[in-house]
Amino acid sequence: MKNIVFLMNIKLNDSAGRYTPERSLPYEYSIKSWKRWCDKNDVELFTLENLIVPMDEMAICWQRYYLFDILEANDIDYDQILMVDSDTIVHPECPNFFEMTDHKYTGVHNEGSYDWILRSIENYSKHIFQGRELKWWNYINGGFQIVNKNHKDLFSAMISLHNNNKENFVYMQDTYHTGTDQTPINFMLQINDIETKILPYEYNMMDMPRKEILNENLTMTRVGWVYHFNCIPNNKDNQATLYWMKRTYEELYEN
Amino acid sequence: MNKKNVIWWTGIINPDHNEKYGGFEYMEYSRKSWEFWCKRNNCEFVTFTEPIEQDLKRFRVNWQKALFVFDELEKRNIEYDQICLVDSSAIVKWNTPNFFELTERKFCGLRDTDNMNWTYESIKGYQKFFDFKLDTTKYINSGFIIFNEIHKNVLESFKRLYYDNIDMFCDLQDNIVKKGTEQTPLNYWLQINSVDIKTDLPLPFKLTHLHRKDMFSYNWQLKEDNTPFFIKYGYIWFFNGIPKDQRSKIMKDTWNHIKHNYDDKYTNVHNILNEVDHKDTAKYTTSRKFKKDILDIFYNDKYKDATILELGTSQGQSTKMLSRIFKHVYTVEWDDWNIEQAKKRCTDRDNITFIKFDLYGKKWELPKADVVFIDAGHEYKHVISDINNVVDHLDNPIFIFDDYGLPPGEVRKAIDEKVTEGVLKLNKFIGELPEDLVHAGGTQFIDKEGCICNLR
Repeated sequence: MKNIVFLMNIKLNDSAGRYTPERSLPYEYSIKSWKRWCDKNDVELFTLENLIVPMDEMAICWQRYYLFDILEANDIDYDQILMVDSDTIVHPECPNFFEMTDHKYTGVHNEGSYDWILRSIENYSKHIFQGRELKWWNYINGGFQIVNKNHKDLFSAMISLHNNNKENFVYMQDTYHTGTDQTPINFMLQINDIETKILPYEYNMMDMPRKEILNENLTMTRVGWVYHFNCIPNNKDNQATLYWMKRTYEELYEN
Repeated sequence: MNKKNVIWWTGIINPDHNEKYGGFEYMEYSRKSWEFWCKRNNCEFVTFTEPIEQDLKRFRVNWQKALFVFDELEKRNIEYDQICLVDSSAIVKWNTPNFFELTERKFCGLRDTDNMNWTYESIKGYQKFFDFKLDTTKYINSGFIIFNEIHKNVLESFKRLYYDNIDMFCDLQDNIVKKGTEQTPLNYWLQINSVDIKTDLPLPFKLTHLHRKDMFSYNWQLKEDNTPFFIKYGYIWFFNGIPKDQRSKIMKDTWNHIKHNYDDKYTNVHNILNEVDHKDTAKYTTSRKFKKDILDIFYNDKYKDATILELGTSQGQSTKMLSRIFKHVYTVEWDDWNIEQAKKRCTDRDNITFIKFDLYGKKWELPKADVVFIDAGHEYKHVISDINNVVDHLDNPIFIFDDYGLPPGEVRKAIDEKVTEGVLKLNKFIGELPEDLVHAGGTQFIDKEGCICNLR
């Protein structure tokens, strides 16, 4: 059984909203980098090209929790699966993180703006999770999650949670703008006592401008392995993301 | 031998840097907080305020705090167990748990990932000197490190390294690398000497670069609580990564906001815990950690005038502790022998009312209170009955529950049900984890020991 890297590469034409056609332009660099890494590490790459349900029924990020259904529908056998965002690039020499999981649910703590994270936790706690507290220091970023068959029930529970609270989630997303699935999956992990393993920041380097490593020297490529091109300021039409992902890919894979 | 854990607090004033730092007033706020924390946690507060080497250019304060710590402790005849070296730019929150209990007696440090460009340049700058490939995922901030006697040799050899290469270090530090003082060399030295470094203390203990983390903010969307996030969610706040000349002002503002919590009358936690028994020796009470968690949350000015209603006095171990926290304790018990034992235990207390009452057989006629501690019947129907009665008769109290994880899970089932119904809001689990709970009766818990709901 192989390990799988799962990416969503869904092109939408929501010209008035968040998912403009330009948004997905940089994804090609992500996919190419992951393809190279997968080939090197005997891992299978799976890209999801189409929505499972319409966007107005479920935000796109939520749809990744159909993961096990998708793989099974495609007759793909698997051991562990990395669900990774399409605005990431992996270093060709990145160690095989599947060997570091102890077969647990694995993620990377979300370093970055704790104003956003803590508001998100408090807002979702109040409106969805009956005021539960979350160990915020274990809060993981949703853009890099390694799971296995043991987590099928959890993902089913995520889908049920969404479908039973659909209007509430839309209200949360539209009112507070503090994320879609990321905070809910963190609550679900802790409520369900799922054993987790936290990898170092170097395996999902989110919010790189805040750490002063997204720069013309591409410092991030010298200090870590998986570059997550989110939280980039002045990013109209995702142009800055495109610029940095293209540059990073060319630096790592074409030089 | 009376070995205590030690806070080694560095507060040396370098007059040459007065302008750069906008004065050193900030140190007093740090100092007051750590003095309080040490009293409360039975630790020794040891200050390092006079330099050993007087040339502060060649022997920067940051170097001296690490080089001379063992010499100074021994010179001052201080018996130490573990030592926490902390900078005077840090304020510790009044109810911070005792982090010495989390170290596994390893060398502990906080991973430094705030400005990774800075750390990268610093590591690169010293690489040639040390001729060693550093594991950057173990790179720690030297402003808060914990160690013990087994690390004495490595710090002694670090001192020799510095004296043997002082000109080179000064040149690297002041002219070539210009990224920090002893921090990066210390990281190299620890790794070269294969020191097992624990870097995973939870983030609340290491809130550095508060501004970069956006933690001066509060939840401006819910508008329910304007406590800044760093105070609400953190334990140790490092006022670094901000313009140095603003440090005193920011720390002063912070201190003025919180100083009422650092009243000396709240420092005797250790004594309070020692005057009662705990679950490891007395099965009808809670663990020491459960009681300590209650003290951490309630033993402060905010609750000094509050009252508590305890359902299930048992033999009065918790009752006595609660009487140290709250203005008045109303404690309810049905069994005469238990009441007698509890009264004996609490003879020196004058703020307890013992009430003999059958919680499940009579119409509820009990006093109102701000907090309720539910630890009476442990069957599902009892806990549900207690919650319903409290909700019906008290005005939005805070609930403390013992025995959440008691097998077979009836207490948990009742609480979870009320949380799901939206009657209770589960705020915090307290006490021991099931795997850590030592029960005098040998009972193996299936979940956390207790929880708090509706905490305001």
